[in-house]
Amino acid sequence: MAQPFPYTYYACDCYDNNKPQTVAEAAAEEERDLDPRHPRSNYSLYPLEHLLYCEDCQQIRCSRCVTEETLNWYCPSCLFEVPSSVVKSDGNRCTRNCFNCPVCTSPMTTNSLDTSGDNAAPYTLACPYCKWSTVEIDIEFEKMNGISGQLAKIANGGRQIPTQKERDKERERRKELEARFRDRSALSPSEDSPTMDTWREDHAPSRDDLFSNLSAFYKTQIETTTASNPFSHSDINFSSPSAYSRIMNMYQSTNKRNKRDKPSPVREAASTLEGLSIHDPSTDVAAIERIKTEGWATTLSPSQRHAQTNPNIRFDTELRPLATLLCTKRSKRCRSCRHILSKPESKITSTRYKIKVLALEHIPRLSIRALPSYFTNPTQPPTPAAPHTPYNALKSGIPTHFLLHLSNPLFDPIRVTLATPSTTPGKVQSRITILCPKFEVGANTDVWDDALASSLSPIKHASQDLNQIEAGKIWDRGRNWTSVIVEVIPGFLDNVPGSGLGPGLGEKFALDEKKKKAKQEGEDTDDELDEDEDVLEIPIFVRIEFEADVNAEERSLGDSRGNKNEREKREEAFWTVVGVGRIAAV
Amino acid sequence: MSTERKASASASASLGRSLRGATPRLTDLASTPESPRTPLARTATSFYGSPGGYRSEEEYIVLELGARFVRGGLPGDSTPRCTLSFGPEEQRRAGDYRQWDPGHSSQRRKRRRGHGWGQDHELYRLDVSQADLGLVEDKFERAMREAFNKYFVLDTKPRRVMLAIPPKMPHPLISTMLDVLFGSFQSPSVTLLSSPVVATVAAGLRSALVVDIGWAETVITAVCEYREVHERRTVRAGKLMSEEMAKVLNAALDNEADAGAPPANLSFEEADEVLTRVGWCKAKPRTTRRSTYSAARSSLIAEEFEDAAEAPEPTIAVPFPRHTPPTDVEVPFSTLAQPAESALFAPDTALCEFDDHEWPVHHAMYRALLSLPMDVRRLCMSRIVITGGGSALPGLKARILDELESLVSQKGWDPVRSYGSASARHERIMSQKRENLQLRSEEGEDKVPDSLGPDPPLPAGLQKPEEDPIDAKLSHLSLKNTPSASLIGGVIRGVDTLGAWAGASLVAQQRIKGIVEIEREKYLQHGIQGATREKEISVVPQRQSMGPAVVGRGAGDRASWTLGVWA
Repeated sequence: MAQPFPYTYYACDCYDNNKPQTVAEAAAEEERDLDPRHPRSNYSLYPLEHLLYCEDCQQIRCSRCVTEETLNWYCPSCLFEVPSSVVKSDGNRCTRNCFNCPVCTSPMTTNSLDTSGDNAAPYTLACPYCKWSTVEIDIEFEKMNGISGQLAKIANGGRQIPTQKERDKERERRKELEARFRDRSALSPSEDSPTMDTWREDHAPSRDDLFSNLSAFYKTQIETTTASNPFSHSDINFSSPSAYSRIMNMYQSTNKRNKRDKPSPVREAASTLEGLSIHDPSTDVAAIERIKTEGWATTLSPSQRHAQTNPNIRFDTELRPLATLLCTKRSKRCRSCRHILSKPESKITSTRYKIKVLALEHIPRLSIRALPSYFTNPTQPPTPAAPHTPYNALKSGIPTHFLLHLSNPLFDPIRVTLATPSTTPGKVQSRITILCPKFEVGANTDVWDDALASSLSPIKHASQDLNQIEAGKIWDRGRNWTSVIVEVIPGFLDNVPGSGLGPGLGEKFALDEKKKKAKQEGEDTDDELDEDEDVLEIPIFVRIEFEADVNAEERSLGDSRGNKNEREKREEAFWTVVGVGRIAAV
Repeated sequence: MSTERKASASASASLGRSLRGATPRLTDLASTPESPRTPLARTATSFYGSPGGYRSEEEYIVLELGARFVRGGLPGDSTPRCTLSFGPEEQRRAGDYRQWDPGHSSQRRKRRRGHGWGQDHELYRLDVSQADLGLVEDKFERAMREAFNKYFVLDTKPRRVMLAIPPKMPHPLISTMLDVLFGSFQSPSVTLLSSPVVATVAAGLRSALVVDIGWAETVITAVCEYREVHERRTVRAGKLMSEEMAKVLNAALDNEADAGAPPANLSFEEADEVLTRVGWCKAKPRTTRRSTYSAARSSLIAEEFEDAAEAPEPTIAVPFPRHTPPTDVEVPFSTLAQPAESALFAPDTALCEFDDHEWPVHHAMYRALLSLPMDVRRLCMSRIVITGGGSALPGLKARILDELESLVSQKGWDPVRSYGSASARHERIMSQKRENLQLRSEEGEDKVPDSLGPDPPLPAGLQKPEEDPIDAKLSHLSLKNTPSASLIGGVIRGVDTLGAWAGASLVAQQRIKGIVEIEREKYLQHGIQGATREKEISVVPQRQSMGPAVVGRGAGDRASWTLGVWA
């Protein structure tokens, strides 16, 4: 739709749409015309270039009806191939120096802040497009390389982030401290500990901290509660302490009763170190104050927020540079027969494909264009500079002619049958007539055949006398293409449904009056058009028949009969949607 | 041969379950907490100690489904890798690149005919009678394809899915989502988790009152010991808030515009952006008693808001690039708090005017707490977890907790709101009781020293219960391992959660089995109808001998599956 007019979309009746249905449903499905306005059509219509073709199933394959397998991973920015083990451990982002701007998403560059001119430390990441840089979040780097490693260690504002291991250690240390404090306070409850207060005053734990605290808490809880389950797998290992204790138990009959003890259930987290965080309104109050003083510009737009690795932020000082997402090279298989439809070369810098079965090479290409006006109006002299029909302003109610052009990529001549609903579906109803819905298209033979045989060809083309707009006749034809005329009467935008040609003048006047009234009363008139409802799109059902050589595999079966030049009849059918133009408001 | 292998595979998979035996439900198996033990390593060796061939099946992806967003990522991460929305830009045809058109960002989108506010941005709505399930499937499939190809970038191994969905999701919708996950993405199994429960997990709690301020509704779920015990919903949620915000902004735009200009009609995108960027929520007005939440810490600033008598009222310049002509409007800062006020709390409406589905949030919470059994209420009221997209508004959580606290202090836990003509009698009874109690206690104190005389004995109900030292010791023993902080109850307290996605991520990371685990083969065979009617299925593996006989057992311990709370 946003493609320039005219355009053509092809509908893929997807593999997984062919669910087992009742007979009645299936029949209804057959009967139904494709409605390009239906919201679901957006998911089944593709430009021809986007489609693959499965030669075994003899069907179009869209991105929904293929399965994809990742061949390799690479960073689109530095074109460095990332091994799968690294992807698993380090995630889906580039771990080298590639970053995108968190404000405008363009790739960032590493700049030196050194003014002496010899490019020395400190360095910053800066966006060449919007001039955002890590200086704004108080982050500077010591080295030019390994930016992501350095960035992981610095929080916004320049504070060091401890690594996961350090954090775990710190947590253990604090927990011990706390336990010791508890013991001590149990002995002498009056004594208050200064240690507790010192680390309470510390900054609020980040989301990551809370998560790792929680995760560690649950892990220890689960370990204590499931302990030495004598039938658990981990204890198969005979060197584990629980295995020893089990063996010991076998010889110690006195301990039997003890084993029936019910273990305590996993308890709740009780402190921040265990991941509990009591709601604290002070951060919210600070946020409100900040919005009040700094206004709109300091807050983040939804898209900026969602792009961040931690989307729960609000202000621009919390932004982090975004490490570039890795890309993958994927091979595609047909979902129903598992044949490979496309497989790129594994080298990152190569854009070539090992296997690529495109719909372009198997499906006739439909295209439409306006018929220059001098054909329809012979009195007007053909001027080369005449402005061609403006697709963006079709005139309601005036019959307009378009040339539907069908070219054949196959090496066999095809017979084509076109069908279209007489009026387009939707609110604006236009009348469509294909003047010659049945015709043949020649084979896609060698280009030279055409040139050599042109003098002998029974079809004469390019002579203007033959080109007449007449029902049942094709307009023109060439080696592997044929064009026919489509007559379109664009509908009225403020249409009365059903009439097809819009209301008469009187009616229209009355309608306008009504509308004005409704507007004055402030009612929500249903007359307004939705986005793109003024676009004239024609659904066309295409059916092609041709005779082709029998597939190699099938032929080998038939070889016993010795009939090598066996040909089989094939047919294909699919819906297309042709976007003709936008109807101008009267 | 292959069938044999399969049988052994499933048998050892079932054993694998006991290996991971991490669920609290396994606890009725024997264990000796005091004995030395090997920590359960993440890379536990498989059956017979050989490196497992089934490790691939153990890998999960974690999804959380909401009405407007899908979050997805890998277990063990604290934040999801992607948050995908379902706006109109995500629903365009392939090859339609108009959103990159320079002029596109300055065009206002019109709402589609017959579509409700923000309906273009929804993945699903709970009313499935008019929903086009095919369209839901298309949307979800496209989003999942983007998640897999762009954000997860996994290898080809199929992954199990942990799917956090709201409880009470309609079956047709569940079935649609499962179709996509099993069909297009070949997951070997999908585990359904209830989002309030995983939100509780992500708060580090076992019981909570989870208030999920979502898109179409606010769902209040009481979770006790990881189970949903009560649910209440109200339509006062994000959708209403953004609609109110649009009204406020339209009014502001009309104020600025010249006379005779057409009335402003903001699109959903604009209103939603303003709401999420600069929307806020006022603290509770100070007419009533100040409670802990507003008074607590650093409330100097809060007081400033409440006074609202600052000489020049602060304003925020909100840009409207899609308006014709594009303009910046100075919106008074206090009006940006109005939408949350009117949409969630509706202070101007009398209580009797609310219908059952539109109670203000704090009233709905109070009613939910009221209908809980007393001991569950005690647990839940001091573990209030406010989550969901709408709860990100600054100041909202404190306000809700404040309102709830004042409601409780006003009304107590008496389910009868008005005693009508009997109110005088009720008052009298209550005051009499109170007086009696006081009198008795005073008398008691007086009498204790010289209780030698033959006083009339106290009625049994007023006597101090006898303290049993053995009981005390037992309760002390049972609580020996629980720190005092996790015994708190009976006061209103808010607890922050990391959100349902993080909870599901934790659950997947600890390899905890869900009750509702749907295997691919079984689903494809029978669809969602294949679930058993029973809500509970024991996930505790039956005690099996470890001999070779197990290998031939076949189908494993999950012959049937259930839909649990969704059944």
